[in-house]
Formats: sequence, structure tokens, C-alpha cells
Amino acid sequence: MDALLLIPIALPVVGGAALLVSSFREGASVAGRQDSGTGGSGLTASRTAGGQEESRVGLCVYVGMVLGISVILALTLSWTGERELVLFTLLDTIPVYFRIDAVGRLFVTVVSLIWLMSALSAFVYMRHEGKEKRYFGFYLILYGILVASDFAGNLVTLYLFYELTTLASMPLVLHSGKRESVMAALKYLFYSLCGAYGGLFAIFILYRYSDTLTFAAGGTLNMAAAQGHEGILLIAVFAALLGFGAKAGMVPLHAWLPTAHPVAPSPASAVLSAIIVKSGVLAVVRVVFYIVGAEFLRGTWVQQAWMTLALLTVFMGSMLAYREQVFKKRLAYSTVSQVSYIMFGLSLLTADAFTGAMLHVAVHAVVKCGLFLTAGVFVYYFDYTRVEQLTGIGKRMPKTMWCYLLLSLALVGIPPTGGFISKWYLAEGALQSDTGVFAWLGPVVLLISALLTAGYLLPVAMKGFFPGVGAEPESRDEGDKGSGGLAAVPETETKTGASSTSEPDPIQEPALAMLLPLVILAALAVLLGIFPGSLIEYASRIATSVL
Amino acid sequence: MHWEYLLNNYEEAVAMILFGIGFSNLLLQKNLIKKIIGLNIMDTATYLFLALKGYIADRKAPVVVDGVTSPEAYINPIPSGLVLTGIVVSVSVTALMLSLTIRLYRRYHTLDLDEITTRLKREGK
Amino acid sequence: MEFVQNFPFLSIILSLFAGPLCSVLNGKWARRVNTAVISIIGIMSTLVLGNVISAGRPYVYLMGHFPAPWGNEIRVGILEAFMACFFCVIMLLCMLGGIREREAQIEEGKQNLYYVMVNLLLCSLLALIYTNDLFTAYVFVEINTISACGLIMIRQTGRTFEAAARYMIMSLLGSGLLLLGICHLYAVTGHLLMSNIRQQVQLIAATGQYHISLMVALGLMSVGLAIKSALYPFHAWLPDAYGYSTLSSSAILSSLVSKGYIFLLIKIFYRVVGFEVVRESRVVNVLFVFGIAGMIMGSVSAIGEGNLRRMIAYSSVAQIGYIYMGLGLATEAGSIASLYHVLSHGATKSLLFVAAAGLADASGGSDRYGDITGAGFRNRLAGVAFTVGSLSMVGMPVFSGFISKLLFAQAAVGHTHKMLPTVIALAISTVLNAVYFMKTVIRIYTRKPMGLSGMGSGGAETGRVVSLSEQPAKSAALVCFILLNLILGLNSDPIVRLIQSGIEMFE
Repeated sequence: MDALLLIPIALPVVGGAALLVSSFREGASVAGRQDSGTGGSGLTASRTAGGQEESRVGLCVYVGMVLGISVILALTLSWTGERELVLFTLLDTIPVYFRIDAVGRLFVTVVSLIWLMSALSAFVYMRHEGKEKRYFGFYLILYGILVASDFAGNLVTLYLFYELTTLASMPLVLHSGKRESVMAALKYLFYSLCGAYGGLFAIFILYRYSDTLTFAAGGTLNMAAAQGHEGILLIAVFAALLGFGAKAGMVPLHAWLPTAHPVAPSPASAVLSAIIVKSGVLAVVRVVFYIVGAEFLRGTWVQQAWMTLALLTVFMGSMLAYREQVFKKRLAYSTVSQVSYIMFGLSLLTADAFTGAMLHVAVHAVVKCGLFLTAGVFVYYFDYTRVEQLTGIGKRMPKTMWCYLLLSLALVGIPPTGGFISKWYLAEGALQSDTGVFAWLGPVVLLISALLTAGYLLPVAMKGFFPGVGAEPESRDEGDKGSGGLAAVPETETKTGASSTSEPDPIQEPALAMLLPLVILAALAVLLGIFPGSLIEYASRIATSVL
Repeated sequence: MHWEYLLNNYEEAVAMILFGIGFSNLLLQKNLIKKIIGLNIMDTATYLFLALKGYIADRKAPVVVDGVTSPEAYINPIPSGLVLTGIVVSVSVTALMLSLTIRLYRRYHTLDLDEITTRLKREGK
Repeated sequence: MEFVQNFPFLSIILSLFAGPLCSVLNGKWARRVNTAVISIIGIMSTLVLGNVISAGRPYVYLMGHFPAPWGNEIRVGILEAFMACFFCVIMLLCMLGGIREREAQIEEGKQNLYYVMVNLLLCSLLALIYTNDLFTAYVFVEINTISACGLIMIRQTGRTFEAAARYMIMSLLGSGLLLLGICHLYAVTGHLLMSNIRQQVQLIAATGQYHISLMVALGLMSVGLAIKSALYPFHAWLPDAYGYSTLSSSAILSSLVSKGYIFLLIKIFYRVVGFEVVRESRVVNVLFVFGIAGMIMGSVSAIGEGNLRRMIAYSSVAQIGYIYMGLGLATEAGSIASLYHVLSHGATKSLLFVAAAGLADASGGSDRYGDITGAGFRNRLAGVAFTVGSLSMVGMPVFSGFISKLLFAQAAVGHTHKMLPTVIALAISTVLNAVYFMKTVIRIYTRKPMGLSGMGSGGAETGRVVSLSEQPAKSAALVCFILLNLILGLNSDPIVRLIQSGIEMFE
């Protein structure tokens, strides 16, 4: 029992809830002002304009404090010894139970890192979107919930926080409140709920045929009880794979992802793509390796189907990303494809592939967060949302673009970046596995997909640096089409005027708070590839314990 | 198949047929008054059935006269008591239904429940 | 005999006499009397519950000290006392939540009549819970129907009259069938007391005599009570009755009246016919099928509904379907799940009704779907409450709905034939619930587009900010409902165990 575990979960949740309450107050008073008429609105407007900057700084400090303390606590707690905590009992044999183990540690670290980076960027970006208090409120709550789901020690606890993740991340998607984003949020909700129900179905069945729902490396399936019920158990596992795979954007329940991720504010897209999809991965890891056990699935139709679906998603996601012209949508499709790399690695059920999958969890989180934050920079400063608008952007924002290039290389898997290491292990694992045709088909598909990844990410950087002769930036009106005509900053106007007369663009780097996360993430993506030793060792230790 | 059963228990059969008539009237008639009549037929059929269950051939009503106290002389009194209770219930229910009917008739000048519904839908509120 | 053991009888009598008393009082005093009566009965039921739990076995209270086959009896076990307690709490909260609507919608001078009805309703519910006599149960079923009808038509509009008429007709059909079933059972067994019938039924079932009569009686009673509690194909009256009557009425009707019948049915299954016999009969399969149909069709109708309260009413149809599905599983786990859902739905649905009224308050009194846009900002507590209720209905963890869904699925797993239909129906129904409830939640938290430009065009701004302290009673009721929901969702273990020991006490 260690009640300390509760703090990194409860602190951000409480802190976020406080922000929400305060934003709610404001909302109500705004509604009140509307109700009482427009009489005093001129006065209030001038007053708020003065106080706004001040309150914004206060908000950032507050969010930074809460998040910082929670992150430090979460990391220290998770890296200093075994801890566990039974919060309370839900049903007679099912407690809400937290325990830190190796997988949880890895996920918590990734989550915390990404959360800090994205928050830093959001401090600037969210001026563009407004309603910052609400955004950061849900942002903090979501952090607490994610930490809780990483700490979860049994399947029901994990499910509980998995559902809450869906709920708390939905407001991030519908942040702008436009019809498009509301519909996207609804789509997200329905896919996630359907998926979660698949998971719940599996929980019901597994509850019956396993000794306990508490995670244990290698599985807790009661072979004696399961004797003769393999059929239903396999169906249940498959339902869980499909269901939790929905969150991870695996075919056939992937359609929400390209809709929901791009409509969110960019920092939110970053965490959605980098982290939230990983909660689906985490759930799959827990079900397959910590409850059912890899041995049970090896060679069954479930494994075959899982591998097929994962490879299909890898290929399809890349293809769709290649053809997509909206920048953030392209990144979202890329997420679909890349997360299924992880799924494929898990589905092979070999130690190397598992190691590769774990590595790719970290690499993809870092890279995709960075890429979306880059997209955020472009949206914030230029209101650019489409790929062709980015032509020549490298001249104006060289540092940003260099970060983008490094991150892209890492995602493609060019040595010596992090992506190379993880993909190497994935391919190695596939070749070693005795899965028949998949043993060679897998690496081939991964290779094709890597080429496609290069095909959809690198041209942006190339065109960005070398717009080519006569590459006239096309009409700027299109910029408004994508993200709702909010004239972000006055600079945009002048810039537009300047570039259309084809003068060389002056260099204009983003604010430090937006640039810094990019630099850190890009550096990380590369460093993970240069010094992968300890991470590989850590991941392979997990792999040997569960396989 | 078992026609003798029906013939031997023709009272019960009659009660059931009556119940069916009342039930379908209550369910299917459009006119509210006819519905209420159906309700009464249905209830009466049940009471008939109950009374039959309490009746024992060649015995008297359970009212002690001439000092005869032996239970063998009387029919089973409990169903009769139940019938009485049931009648009270059905009277009150019928009264409530009738008053409702009057209310509806005053408002809409029709006894047809479906027509009232369509009119309400047309009014929109 | 301890003094506490008189309380069930006293509470029935108290509410019975409070009814006529209210008819001579004026509205305000009638309300006070009614509140006091409900609270006192709630406290008494709690004491009884404590007594039964500490005694560890049920007791039988002889009415007028006539012994078994002749006299009328009250029988008190854990489940009975617990239900009585729960019903009192819910009723009190429903009455608290709807004070303002009652004052606005009921004619001056008829206010006290409302409390007559509520007292009688409470009396009949208590009697349904406690009685050990089948015919007494029938009589109180009718009293329940009459007072519920009164609750619907006290708000005098065409809609409510029509709804009341339809409600009466369906209810009378149901009680006719119930009465006929009871008569059949009496004809077969010769008893009216539940315990005695049970013994006879066991004898009969063992010898295989009168099998058809027994099945007919069981079928008639089940279908009768199913009709009365608005199981799917018999639900036509429900949306109007819940949608247009005054707030407390809708809340009480949806969360208590139908639950009273369901509880009676469970009692008949366990205490009268015996669960073994029920399991072997095919009646439960019928309930199962209709329950599943209700789960899905109710939600489908709710999706197409443009009026908030009618939408919630249709969702009741779906939730009743859940309960009958659980009963239809014909296992003890299924019954426990159903009983838990009775609690969970009772707490949630009344919460939703009161919250919906709060949202309508903030939207110019209209609960049409288009008008409640952004109402969650104007009436914050109601918005939060509605969200909690919706999440519970969808089956989100932390709230009560999740636990009942968990229990249903647990009950279904391991059932050879019914597992797959149950789980699939649960899945479909979850998604459908999510469709209309989350749609509504998002709507109440979406600002009106014209609201941004202040007094925009496109119709009058109907919204109005409702503060927390404007209706303290309603706010208190909402807070209590939310707490109740959280308690049921987070602390379900002791409650489930209570239900389980209660069911064991039925034997």
C-alpha cells in the first residue's frame, strides 16, 4: 500500500478541475452579460483586454506548476521501486488497484515527456484558439488519467481509466466548437465506445477463465478452466484487439482518427496522436501479454488475423497519407500507419519484435508530437494548413524546418535516428518468427511503408528549403479555408504582402516556447538512435519477462 | 382434443371467453365508453371465475343461520370475500375512467382516443 | 417482538392516513405533511433494515394476529426493507426537485390533492414491497395505478388527459391479467399467502399435476406486470405520460412506479412460484426476448425524439428492457443485476428528469432539443447533473450504470444460450445510448452561435441564467442525486451483497 501513488494522479485532476470550474464561472458570467444586454460590453471589453495578458501569464505559470510537480512526482515514484495501492473495491473480487511495473514505467515516462513539450508549445499556440482555461483544464485532467491508466494494476482499473481517457480527451477534439469538430468528436466517441465495449466483452470472458485480472507477466489464464472453451476465449481476445485497436487506429475501426486528430488544436493533436493512441496499445499489451499470455495466442487464427490487420493498416495508412494534401490530416494518416507498426510488432509474439514495438512506442511518440507541433507553428503564424502552401517555408523558418526534417528522417527510419533502431528490431523479430508467410511479408510491407513515409514527409521539407524556380506561392486566400479565418497575428498580413511580390522572405522563427519543444524532440529522436543501448536493454528485459 | 374438459368445466370456459371478450374490447375499441364496458366485462369474468372456484355443489352461502356451524354446510367463503374486494376496486377504477372520459369529451367533443391523439399532434403541443 | 418490527405496518398505515389528511389541508401544509411522512417512513425503513440485518433472518408480521392460512401477513426481509428505504429517498428527492414546477403547473386549490396522490402512492408501494398476500398485492397494484393516474392528470392539459387515459387502459389490461393469474394460482393451490402457495406449488411441480394451469398463471402474472411496467411492446403510453406530466410526477413514475411492479414480479418469481419452477418455464424466455427488443427499440425511438423529456422517457423503455433481460436470464446473478439496475435506474432517471427541467428553466421553459443549446452554461448545476446522468446511462465507469452493465454481463457470461444475445444487445444498446445522450450533452455545452454577437438576429434569446441558489430545493435534490449515483457507482460492493442476502432471504 502506498498512498503516494495517488498524488500524481489526483493532483493534475484536481488542478484541472479547478481550472474548469473557473472557466465555467467565466462562461456563466459571459452568458449573464449576454443576457443582460450589450449595455456594459464596451467597458468590460476594454477591461478584459488589459487584464488578459496578465491572466494568461498567470494561467501558464499555474499549469506549468501543476504539471511540473505532477510529472516530477510521477517519474520519481515510478522509477524508485515497486509500489502498489488498492484504492477501493469495485465489486467483490475486483479492486481498483494501482501497481507500477516495467511497461507502466516506460509509458509514464513517455507520457510525461510529451505532455511537458506539448504544454510548452500550447502556451503560445492556444492564444490562437482561445478558451485556454478550458483547454488546459482538460489537458491536466487527461494527464492524471493517463498516469492512472499506466499505473493500473488490473484489467478493470485499466478499462476504467481507458474510458475516462476517451471522455477527457473528447473536449480537446471539439475545442473550437465548430460543427466540423463536434461531429469529429462524436465520431471519436462512438468509435472509442464501440471499441471499449469490445474490450469490456473480453474482460467479462477473461474474468471467468483466468485466475485473476491482476496483471502478471506471461498471463494469468487458468488453463484448467479454459480447457474446452478456447473458441470463446479466442473470440474474446479478438474482440479486445479490435476494440482497443480502435483507439490505436487499427483497421477496421480506424476511421475516426484522420477525422478527429486534425480538427483539434495542434498541441492537442500532438498529444492525441503521440499518446492517446498509445493507450490503445497499452491496453492491448496488457490484455495479450499480461492476462491471456502470448503462448495461448501463438499460431491461432487470432494471431493471423491480428497480423493481417496490422499490416493492412500499415500499408493503407501510408498510402492514404501519401495522397493527402492537408498537412495535419497527412500526419494523422501517418499515425494510423505508424501505430500499426507497433501493433504488428506485438502481434508477432517474439521477443525482438516486442522490443521493437516498445522502442517504437517511444520513438513514434517523440516524433509525432514534434511533427504536429511543427504543423501547429505553421497554423499559428501563417494559417497554413495545406501541404502546397508550405513551399518555401524553409527560408522563413529554417530552424523549425530543420527540426521537421530530423523528425521526418527519424520516422522514415534512416540511420542513425531512433526510427531506424525500432524498425530494425521489428523487422528482425518478424524474420525470426515462425509465422510462415508473414515472416517475410512483414518486413516487405514495413519497407514499402517506410518508402511511402519518406514519400509523404520529405518532399515537404525539400520543397520547404528549395521551392524551385518560379514556384510562386499560390493565392493566400486558401489559407483561410482550412482553419477558420482567425487572423492570427498582424504579422501574417504583412508577410503575405511581402511574399507575393517575390522578395526574399525575412527569417522569422517562432516564439521560443514553440521552438524549444521542437528542438528537444528532434534532438531526442536522433539521440535515441545514436545511444539506444539502455532503452533497448530495458525494452528487451520487458520482452523476455512476458514471452 | 379434450372436449370433455370443456364440457365438464363449462362455467370456467364461459368465464374465460368472457374475459377474452372484455380484454379485446378494452384493448381494441376506439370508443372510450366501449372500452370501459370492456373493462367491466373483463372484471366480471374474473369474479365469475373466482366465485366458481369457491362454489361447492349443494352447499349454502357462508352465512350462519339456524345455528349450523359445521364448515361442511357452507361453500368456501374466501373467494366471495375476494370478489367483494375486487368489485370495490373495479368500481373505483371505472369511476376514474369515466371521469377521465368526461374530461376528454368536454375538451375535444369526441370519445375516440385515436382522434384525440391525432388532434393533439396536429396542435403540436 | 421488538417495537421496530411494527414499523413496516406503521409506515403503510401512516402514509395511508396521511392521504386523507392532506385532502383537508391547504397546499403548503399538505406539502409539509407529505415531506414529513416520507422522511419518517424513510427513517423507519432504515431502522427496520438495521434490525433485519442484525437479526440475520426475515420476520413475519401477522395482521390482526390471525395465524397463517387465514390471516393477512407482512413479511420483512433485507431486500424489502432496503427497497422501502431506497424508494423513500428517491421519492423525497423527486418531490424536492419539482416544487416549483408543481406550483406553476397545478391549479391553485388543487395542490393538496397532489399530495394525497403521492401519499397513497407511497402507501401502495410500501404495501407492494412488504405484503405476503397475493390478493393484497393486487389491491395495492390498483391503488398504485389510480394514484399514478392522478399524478399524471393533475397538470390539466389535453396531453396529460390523453396520456392518463392511455396509461389507465394499459394498466387495466395489465391488472386484469394479473388478477386472472392470481385467481388461477388460487384455484390450483387454494392459498393466497405467498409462503403457503410456494409450498403447494412445490408439491404440484414435483408431481407434475396441473402443469398447464401453473404455467398459465405464471404467464398471466408476468405479462400483466410487464404491461404495467411498460415493457417494450406495451410502452405506447409512456412517452406522453412522462413527457407532459409535472416534473415530480415524471420522475416518480419512471423511477418508482414501474419499479414497484418489477419488484412485485421478482417477489412472485422467488416467493410465490419458486425460482426453480420459473426457470423451467418458458415464460422467462419471453421476458428475455421482449427485454432485448425493448433495449434496442427504446433507444432507437429516443434517438429520433426532439423533445428532451420525451427522449428521457424513451430511454426508460430501454432501461426497463435491461431489467427484464436480467430477469429473463433466470439465474440468481441475473436477478441481482436486475435489482441493482432497479436502484441504478431509479437514481439516474429521476436525476435526468430533474436536470432536464433545470435545463428547460434556463431555456425559457422549453425542452425542445433546439432550444436547450448552451443550457449547460446557463444552469450549471443542472448541466453537470445531466452530464452525470447521461454518463451513467451510457455506462461509464465511476457511475452506477457501469456497475449494472458489469453485473448484467457477468450474469450472462456462462449462460449457455443467452450469453451471446445478451452481450450483443448490451453492446448495441450502449452505443445507441451514447448516440442520444452524448449528443444532448454536447448540445447543452455548445454555445449558441448567435450568442457570440450578443443580441443577434434569428429569434429572441430565450436563455436565462439560473443560479444555484434560485431554487435551493432543486439544487439540493440534484446534488443528492449526483451523490447517490456516485455512491452506487463507486461503492457497489456492499449494495450488491445486500441484494444477494436479500434474495437468499426470499427463500
